[in-house]
Amino acid sequence: MPSSRRRLPVSAALVGAVLVTSACSGAPGPGAAGGPSTTAPERGWDEVLAEADGQTVDLWMYGGDQLGNAYVDDVLAPAAAELGVTLRRVPVTDTADALNRVLSELQAGTEDGSVDLVWVNGENFTSGRQADAWLCGWTGQLPSMEYVDPEDPLLTSDFGTPVDGCEAPWHKAQFVLAYDSAAVTDPPASMDELFDWAEANPGRFTYPAPPDFTGSAFVRQALYAVAGGPDEVPAEFDQAAFDEVAPELFDRLAALAPSLWRAGDTYPQDLAALEELYAGDQVDMTMTYGPATLAQQVASGALPESTRVLPLEGGTLGNASFLAVPVNAADQAGALAVADLALSPEQQLAKADPAVWGQYPVLDPDRLPGDVAAASAALPSSEAVPPFDELSRDADPELGAGWVGPLEDGWRSDVLGAG
Amino acid sequence: MPARRSRALLLLLPAVLPTAAVLGVALTVAVLQSTGLVPVVGEPEPSLAAYRELAGGRALLDGLRVSLGVAAASTALALAVGLGTALLARTTRLGGRLLRAAAAATVPVPHLVGAAAVGLLLADSGLVARTLSVAPGEFPPLVAGPWWAAVVAEYAWKESAFVALVVLAALAAGERELDETAATLGAGPWQRLRRVALPLAAPAAVGAGGVTFAYVLGSYDVAWLLGRSSPEPLPVLAYRLFTDVDLARREQALAVAVVTTVLALACLVLTAALLARTTRRAPA
Repeated sequence: MPSSRRRLPVSAALVGAVLVTSACSGAPGPGAAGGPSTTAPERGWDEVLAEADGQTVDLWMYGGDQLGNAYVDDVLAPAAAELGVTLRRVPVTDTADALNRVLSELQAGTEDGSVDLVWVNGENFTSGRQADAWLCGWTGQLPSMEYVDPEDPLLTSDFGTPVDGCEAPWHKAQFVLAYDSAAVTDPPASMDELFDWAEANPGRFTYPAPPDFTGSAFVRQALYAVAGGPDEVPAEFDQAAFDEVAPELFDRLAALAPSLWRAGDTYPQDLAALEELYAGDQVDMTMTYGPATLAQQVASGALPESTRVLPLEGGTLGNASFLAVPVNAADQAGALAVADLALSPEQQLAKADPAVWGQYPVLDPDRLPGDVAAASAALPSSEAVPPFDELSRDADPELGAGWVGPLEDGWRSDVLGAG
Repeated sequence: MPARRSRALLLLLPAVLPTAAVLGVALTVAVLQSTGLVPVVGEPEPSLAAYRELAGGRALLDGLRVSLGVAAASTALALAVGLGTALLARTTRLGGRLLRAAAAATVPVPHLVGAAAVGLLLADSGLVARTLSVAPGEFPPLVAGPWWAAVVAEYAWKESAFVALVVLAALAAGERELDETAATLGAGPWQRLRRVALPLAAPAAVGAGGVTFAYVLGSYDVAWLLGRSSPEPLPVLAYRLFTDVDLARREQALAVAVVTTVLALACLVLTAALLARTTRRAPA
């Protein structure tokens, strides 16, 4: 599941406070440039573990996912305690809040920062790198990295930004669209067919308004469809390429708008709002970057039992999310120890169980110890959501983080503004 | 007298100092960041670029329009309902107690909870639509609709309770005696309302109205939950820019926050001036 930019409506209560707190703590001081070193010291793993013993690690993560919270509290934290590390989960409504805290502390010149570990990916990772906020060159020290395919494109680059050992992989995710099979008898098989379907069924489709994470992903998926495939769009942002493909995308989405829910006059503010529309039978489709959540929602009855993932020709977007350590983390060694633990085959397997969290592992199945590989093949599956290897077939690479801003701005002015 | 006055000021200090410190620091940093003096990345360099860029675009103007419109509509409704409730509450003993209790119970409800409740009630497939069995397509778009109806309704409901309590408190100070005296002197109910109750309630209503307007202008949660994607009210715009991928947008976000704060302060200054006038005109 994407950790960045996901918001629940409940998050609204805290956001006002964020402006104030970050403004208060951002007293004038030395900028990030003169701050702590951004490269981890070279040392043996035993040394890291010895230093980690007795430390308390604050893991800042999106707190709106109950299963994720339970996994960290009930599975990961006890395992960390065996290493002598106390793992404390700090829930945030939006990963940007954690980054804001780090940046504010760096601006204030705080050396023993309150954030030790952040669940992050995409633009928050890129923003942090822009400000030299992440510790780099440390993932090579983690023993569990031996189970990771070093060539895996999803793990070497995070939305187009090179990872460079500045964050350790944690989960993989796949963007999917889902439909109510009781209402849609002729499910579209490609993005183009989806547009046609929406026009043939006015008012029954919509997507969350970017910059909502899921809505933004939908726009990128639409961009691939309009451009004729991921190969037609360079991963690294490039103004010339943008000028070539973006107008066509915005024209297509603007033309689609009158056929959307509320005639495209407004859009759901976030994924939760779209899911509410879908559950309330106002639209026939929803979408998510965390298919495991979809399976849970269907199982719990929050979404209709007839919900099915829409298989799309040409695949869908895939990404990975990571654990990053701020340069000024007070308990750096402990943070490294937890990142390694989270990556271990045992923890990755436990986390993959839909009943525990249902997050897709980042490890290479061919490198796993035999018993873990067998156990992961035996995990239960859901009727609504096909298994990960099927979902991730022909997965489209994510666009570089540089694309996200211009696409969201363009969508706001040319699609939303035109409506 | 001067001794009493300085003692009164001294007693105010514990409230004034922390407020001034928190607001002062936050506002100073906001102004510094919006003028490029404390950038997140790069070297500090004073500039009004953030303000100029905002002035050149549509977002700030749209935001001003929506925010002022929503604040004005919410305040007008809250004043009408709150004042009406307070005036009704003093007419009967039991009804008055009930109204008073209803207002007192509404005030502590967090706006966020209020917004969620209003959303459940007024959404296209909400309780009202279901109770009336209106098809989702035919229910008027109150939530996320073009008229911001659900947003205004939430603010008006919550703030009317606040207005009612403030006005009731003002009326409690001697209004009954004045009312009875006026009645003894032969004043009818309409005359007593116009000449006794309303002048006594006016300063409280003006004050509560000003506070409501400033609050609605700067509040984020309700507008985000029940509002629409475009145009965005000022706080929603500020927060979107603040969390933008591009760190440079933070300067614009803080510029929007500064503009909102200036507007709210202007509203409070205006309220204070109005208050001075109404108090002068009110019977001693």
